[in-house]
Amino acid sequence: MNPPVDRPATAPDPDPVAVAVAGEVCPPRRYTHSRVQLFRFSAVSWNSHRIHYDAEFAATEGFPDVVVQSTLHGETLSRYALEWAGPDALLKSVSWRNVTTAVAGEPLTWTGTERMVAPSDEGVWLTLDVRVLKHDGAPCVTGHVELTCPAARTTP
Amino acid sequence: MNTLEEVLARARGLIGRWEDEDCGTLTVKDFCRYAAAVDDVDYIRRARARESAGAAVEAPALFLAATMSWEDGPAEAELRPDGLAARESPCTQGLPVRQVHGGQSVRLTRAPLAGTRVTASRAVTSVEQKHGRSGDFVLLGLATRFTSADGTELTAVDETIVVLEAVTEGATP
Repeated sequence: MNPPVDRPATAPDPDPVAVAVAGEVCPPRRYTHSRVQLFRFSAVSWNSHRIHYDAEFAATEGFPDVVVQSTLHGETLSRYALEWAGPDALLKSVSWRNVTTAVAGEPLTWTGTERMVAPSDEGVWLTLDVRVLKHDGAPCVTGHVELTCPAARTTP
Repeated sequence: MNTLEEVLARARGLIGRWEDEDCGTLTVKDFCRYAAAVDDVDYIRRARARESAGAAVEAPALFLAATMSWEDGPAEAELRPDGLAARESPCTQGLPVRQVHGGQSVRLTRAPLAGTRVTASRAVTSVEQKHGRSGDFVLLGLATRFTSADGTELTAVDETIVVLEAVTEGATP
């Protein structure tokens, strides 16, 4: 999530690409969505679809528990990438595809790999391949995050 | 005409018809509640500090894209059996279908600030009938463009919705 602060007007690193390498792997992060989180996200996003907060209804659609919202996957993948990139990183775009459904209480892992690093007016433009994996490693969500950093990050 | 053919027909009739929705004036309270729901307490701290200092406060990056509806909303009795409001599923209203979010692409053009009045313009952009492992389904393409009062684009969202026949009792979904 972008910080609600003024963006620095400083010039970008003169050669930021020299220290950023495509292919760098972000440290994976394990996470489990709670039923309370899914309810609160449904409420705040005004999403009244019952599969997200009514386990009995979700079962009628074949799900073992309430379902993680697609937009919550986008939100969490974006924040994962931004936190990896550093405090001055700005989100430019995010896209994702839901391969299969995740539910509350299910252990998930977020992963990311730098796909492209390029200079930009704001410093460095990074494109990451991101994924949400199930406990057996099967992809649940796949996507891309594009962000900018005033200077390239050099350590995970 | 079966259910999915009806969805196809309705969607084809809506393609390219943009409808505007007033999202109202964005507030720091809205932003912070969103951040709380995704456990981003750092955002809340920074946003409230800037608000106290009289500085502009940017929305969380996906705040606009994640909000499903900006209407006051219908009464419970007017919701579909799955909980969605009719407005949220114009191609499937009254039809025995299930809807699943296929994916989304969000482009952030300019960060929305608290105090900005925002309009969401939405349209169906594509519709296709497909066949997969679980049978036939319809793939709807939807576009939403969020703009400020002066017409500046803030956020652009393109998404796909998968529409399937409703699960019948005793069937495996």
